[in-house]
Amino acid sequence: MLPFILELRQAGIPISVRYVLEFYRALQQGLAPDVDRLFVLARLVFVKRVEHYDLFERVFGAYFLGKGSFPEDPDWKDLLGGKPFEEWLRDQIAAGKLPPDALRQFSNEDLLARFWETLLAQQGAHHGGNTWVGTRGRSPYGHGGRHGGGIRVHGDSLHGTAQKVIARRNYVDYSDKATMGRGNLRQVLASLKNLQAVGPESELNVDETIARTAKNGGEIELVFARELRDRLKLVVLLDNGGYSMMPYVELVRTVFGRMQNQFRELKTYYFHNCIYGTVYLDPARTRPLPWERLCGGGQERRLIIIGDANMAPSELMAANGAISIYTTERKPGREWLRELKSAFPVSVWLNPIPKNRWGLQSATIDQIGRIFYMEDVTLAGIKNAVDYLNIQGQAFRAA
Amino acid sequence: MRFEGSERYYLNPELREIVNISIAMEKPLLLMGEAGTGKTQLAFEISRTLHLTMEEARCKSTFKGEELCYVYDTVLRLNDSRFGGGESGRNVNDIWDYLRFGPIGRAFLADDRRVLLLDEIDKTDADTQDNLLDVLEDGSFIIREINHKVAAKQRPIIIITSNAKRELSDPFLRRCFCHYIPFPSMDEMKTIVGLHYPDFPDPILNASLVTFYRLREQGFEKPPATAELLDWVGAMRTSDTKAPGAGKETRHIGTLLKRSQDLLKFKGVQRSGRL
Repeated sequence: MLPFILELRQAGIPISVRYVLEFYRALQQGLAPDVDRLFVLARLVFVKRVEHYDLFERVFGAYFLGKGSFPEDPDWKDLLGGKPFEEWLRDQIAAGKLPPDALRQFSNEDLLARFWETLLAQQGAHHGGNTWVGTRGRSPYGHGGRHGGGIRVHGDSLHGTAQKVIARRNYVDYSDKATMGRGNLRQVLASLKNLQAVGPESELNVDETIARTAKNGGEIELVFARELRDRLKLVVLLDNGGYSMMPYVELVRTVFGRMQNQFRELKTYYFHNCIYGTVYLDPARTRPLPWERLCGGGQERRLIIIGDANMAPSELMAANGAISIYTTERKPGREWLRELKSAFPVSVWLNPIPKNRWGLQSATIDQIGRIFYMEDVTLAGIKNAVDYLNIQGQAFRAA
Repeated sequence: MRFEGSERYYLNPELREIVNISIAMEKPLLLMGEAGTGKTQLAFEISRTLHLTMEEARCKSTFKGEELCYVYDTVLRLNDSRFGGGESGRNVNDIWDYLRFGPIGRAFLADDRRVLLLDEIDKTDADTQDNLLDVLEDGSFIIREINHKVAAKQRPIIIITSNAKRELSDPFLRRCFCHYIPFPSMDEMKTIVGLHYPDFPDPILNASLVTFYRLREQGFEKPPATAELLDWVGAMRTSDTKAPGAGKETRHIGTLLKRSQDLLKFKGVQRSGRL
């Protein structure tokens, strides 16, 4: 059974030693008298996520039933109609290796053939070889290679020069779990969490009650406290993309990683440069969240926007200024930001650019600073932002 | 101890194996899948057919986990210490009179093996889930106030359900047997409806199922599920409808689509545009 388990691992299903022991315990109990039950048992023990079901079935089929080999020969139709081809094509265009003009000169069949060729050749992936597709080789086919031009199968382009961001290449996944050791930042953010005790005083403070009751000579006095649980709802909007944010990625990632741990309800959405009516649920910005859903969640929520607020003035001020060429949004970014501000009265904008460089860096920082209270991502800046949020939050509750 | 399904509940053979393996291995079984795939119902069927008592915990987002094990009623004890327990028979010096056990506590303390259902675990916090799993894995919990360990006399059969509204943590998944229940196929669905309405004529049922699955594919906010289908068939049966109708003529559409926006979409009314 061990080779089978190893194959599961190699296919990318996370397997822990514990599963293996469990599996053997189950086999000893005679829980897998036939192949069907073995299948069910193995899946139950080894596969924990529905995303891995298909992978498991293929490995199992290959190992026990001899169905094809794993990795299976790709099916023509699936392949050409499916996502890999689309991605390949998009990559080609994004990397400038297949300019849209040239695209028109190829027939569909030509394109498919080129793609198919590279993919077939890629079976038994080489990395660093001379002939076939792989990474960092010298063959014209592949990715990150030194040969100019040629077909790149997948992977990110290393030298992007596109002025307008066309495909989805230009984002960095902030939700990366890389943690960093800046403990002081964690404390600052924790202070934000602790300061915000909201909700009714509904929990009996037993120690205090007993103490007061004893002082009262046995006459019971009940003392209630706020439940410690934090009810704070926080929405974070993160500018993840574009070269303008790139130098600040590390900084923002620290903040972001910290926040993820600190709040009960933390919603994170993504945008690029400026907000035009939509923010996105995923870092790649493919699943939009409607504006009404973002703004309609109630004014008691806190909003933190993290972005460099550094953009072309036209993006902020002009109609049709959006950076994405697919957007047909006519309302200028500034108007959208104002709407956002009224939906989240308690909000703050954190800017990774140090405060003393705001004036030099860009005119739009000043413009946005008039709409949102802005602080930089230094310890002092965050402390100020936290204080600001708390004061605003209290004022808002009192009102 | 083998679970074989019952005359009222359609049990997929694969699922039957899974339940039996979980029982044999004494591992919690986590059932995922959309609403209406019979996750919760399965726990009830296990308890019914194996004649085991059911302990049921419907999770809420406010749960911290401990209240599922026990609750220590301080207010009552304080009251009794001041005013006396009256005729309740409670002894204020005995903390055990003021401990009340939750579903997990009851399942552990019972002399017989029980079925423990943790329904919609995904509503709780990640911390709560991890705490609960510690308790369930060890088969014991500690009453903090008196540092007393309660250990399970009999490991309960644990069924956990999740609508996958929130991702469950990896450590949590590692400790369970996980099974994703797919939505029933048309044939299976026919069997299911047949179990509930054995006298419903076949031709109408077939036509209804076609309409039903077509509706499910139309991307409504809340696509109709098994419960809605059964309501619908029930409504057609009572009103003695001879055909389910198709397209906009579908009868009793209110039983299938619940959200007003879905209904508007179904009727072809455009939602008012963004202002």
